[in-house]
Amino acid sequence: MLFRMVKNSFRRRPLSVIILFVSVAMGSAVATSFLGLGGDLSYRISLEIRNYGSNILVEPVAGERGGYLNEADLSRIKSVFWRYNITGFAPYLFGQAELSSGGKRERGVVAGTWFARQVITEGEGESTQGVKVISPWWEVSGRWPEAVDEAIVGAALAERLGVVAGGEIDAAVQGARQRFRVVGVVTTGGYEEEQLFAPLETVQSLFARPGKVSRVLVSALTVPMDDFGRRDPAGMSREEYEKWYCTAYVTSVAKNVEEVMAGSRAKPIWQIASAEGDLLSKLNSMMLLLALLSLTAAATAVSTSLMASMAERSPEIGLMKAVGADRLQIIAIFLGEVLVIAMVGGLAGYLLGDLLAGLVSRIVFNSTIKSTLWLLPTAVLSALAVAVAGSLAPLRRALRIEPVRVLKG
Amino acid sequence: MIRSLLHRRGRTLLLLAVLSMASSLATALGIVSFSMEKRVAEEVRRYGANLVVVPEHSRVTVGSGGLNFGTVGEPSYLEQQVVEEALRRSGLVLDRSLHLGGTLRLGSADIPAEGVDFTEIRKLFPWWQLQGGWPGEGEVLVGSELAARHGIKAGSTIEVSSGGRTARPRVSGIVTSGGEEDGIVYLPLPVMQQLLAQPGKLTLVRLLVTAGGERLKEAGSRLTPLLGGAVVKEVRQVARTSESLLAKVKLLMALVTAVVLISACSSVTGTMSTTILERSREIGLLKAMGGSRRGVMLLFGGESLLLGIIGGGAGYLIGSAIAAFVLRTVFAASAEFMPLVLLASLGVGLSLASIGSSGPLLSVYRLDPVRSLRGE
Repeated sequence: MLFRMVKNSFRRRPLSVIILFVSVAMGSAVATSFLGLGGDLSYRISLEIRNYGSNILVEPVAGERGGYLNEADLSRIKSVFWRYNITGFAPYLFGQAELSSGGKRERGVVAGTWFARQVITEGEGESTQGVKVISPWWEVSGRWPEAVDEAIVGAALAERLGVVAGGEIDAAVQGARQRFRVVGVVTTGGYEEEQLFAPLETVQSLFARPGKVSRVLVSALTVPMDDFGRRDPAGMSREEYEKWYCTAYVTSVAKNVEEVMAGSRAKPIWQIASAEGDLLSKLNSMMLLLALLSLTAAATAVSTSLMASMAERSPEIGLMKAVGADRLQIIAIFLGEVLVIAMVGGLAGYLLGDLLAGLVSRIVFNSTIKSTLWLLPTAVLSALAVAVAGSLAPLRRALRIEPVRVLKG
Repeated sequence: MIRSLLHRRGRTLLLLAVLSMASSLATALGIVSFSMEKRVAEEVRRYGANLVVVPEHSRVTVGSGGLNFGTVGEPSYLEQQVVEEALRRSGLVLDRSLHLGGTLRLGSADIPAEGVDFTEIRKLFPWWQLQGGWPGEGEVLVGSELAARHGIKAGSTIEVSSGGRTARPRVSGIVTSGGEEDGIVYLPLPVMQQLLAQPGKLTLVRLLVTAGGERLKEAGSRLTPLLGGAVVKEVRQVARTSESLLAKVKLLMALVTAVVLISACSSVTGTMSTTILERSREIGLLKAMGGSRRGVMLLFGGESLLLGIIGGGAGYLIGSAIAAFVLRTVFAASAEFMPLVLLASLGVGLSLASIGSSGPLLSVYRLDPVRSLRGE
């Protein structure tokens, strides 16, 4: 019978029903898209902030002049407790060498590293690691090294040696020599411009340090530091230590990495780590407030539509009362209509909201988000809730109408 | 006209409420969007300098990227006076820090050192973690790695020398940054200049310019000719990433605003149409009493206009309040006064009012008074 009533309503006043439907659909579309975007948004922005560079530095305990880390330990980095937070890492082996090219010569720094290397971690699968992953701001004119004797040169060094992409640089270290083919020049505005970067193995054999690295830079997703995170873990009770370890502070992720790299000490790079904590929490709060604002607005919009449609139907209510319907029956009929429309509106809103969330995600972050089916009941339920809340006041007012006055017009 | 509006007080209030809501939403979202970009731009300043000025043929010396290799080649310098003059004449809004880097002898070791102005440092390097206090007159800071290696503690005095000149400053604090700073001693600039016998010279200048993307490049090229041979480089790690992040935030805000506005406006328009449509009996009566089409249309049009203006105005006030609240909660920022948004808000109110009433106005044309009075 309810559906018949709704159908009748629709036939008599199609515009009114359509408008109500659209309001509810739009309202729940906004709610759905925000909820669907919400969690994903935070993650996407965190990844975006990772582009600022690595926030953890891993060095040998003995200090810079002696001591090295083992290249073999690197594959274990992606097996630590916080492995899903570690978005990338790159090893470096540094040394000084006599660099010469086309008659010019000077002492310079040669750095061996990974550019984009496939790493297989036991039990975890493959991942790509290297400079290209953690330092996306490097601008290489030319191309990245592929063969073992290829290298890229920092812009300042290249200028002093008079080298361009396609040229060659000879590096000499205490009897060992290596000729590098320069395939690119890298510009960063930072200290990288003073170095020559080549594949790790080649530099390891040049400096006679097979299987060794001087340091590792790690890029990880972390949560903002707070007072608890700043405490020294050495002075914590067992419970506190577990809580600290299980929160993705930059210090605890660093500790994770330290545990798998033998003889290492991992410390946060505060330039990156401290700025991002604040930035992230501000952006998250902003999104949350915005979502609440919009949801309130959507709910208000739906309520006003309902109030308007209710007010419009006071003659009907008056008529019903005149022919003897009691309050409960009137409430049941009108509320029932509203609920049916709200359910359908909620469903439509969910579909629309899902579409919108996907669209926004694709436009802003160039990525898709997973379709969240659990939002469907949420969308419909919230549509129903708003519909009921919105109809209460006008319904109550309508019930107090005296049939005579209303029927007379 | 006003009397007619007051006569149907309930409905008028509903319409006003609906219009105010839509325009307050437009206002709040507009203000928040504009401010958001500025606030995020302020936040990313914590990453430090986005431009550096170096001598034309600079060489890496010590402590670059945390590598302690000692001096690699002959150092080249910038003239402090030229740089300061250039910065002043360029008219750029920026924070700066001047650096003179070199090697000093500490005991039996050569250590990397930098002469700086500590007030400038605090603005450009906000991530430095200090144990102890910031240096007073003639005091120095020592990087944590260096301090550990040489057993230096905050409060102690060290002796550094270069080429026969010596200084015995007090160490006011130990600095930890996780970067190259941990291996460097920081002295006041004039002291370093005197020790290295390079008065008025610098090796590096860091700049934090309030600009991004194209405007940053423009700032750089504005500065270069004034520097007499020095080179201005963009610190890509900070500049490029900030630019990309800000662009994404802007786009996101725009999309969110659009989505919310469209959804709110569609339901508002609907509500308005419904509310106004039921006045067809009034329209019929007016026409039957002899009102011309034009007269009736003017009456209703005027009503809508009035409602639109009042609704838009009220919406602006409410929306500004909401925006101020949001900004203060999230960014601890004071409210922005944006008169431009008032225009937008009024625009929203008026356009919604006119769209909403266009239906009934159309029906005025076609209305047959007899039928409407009869109730059809």
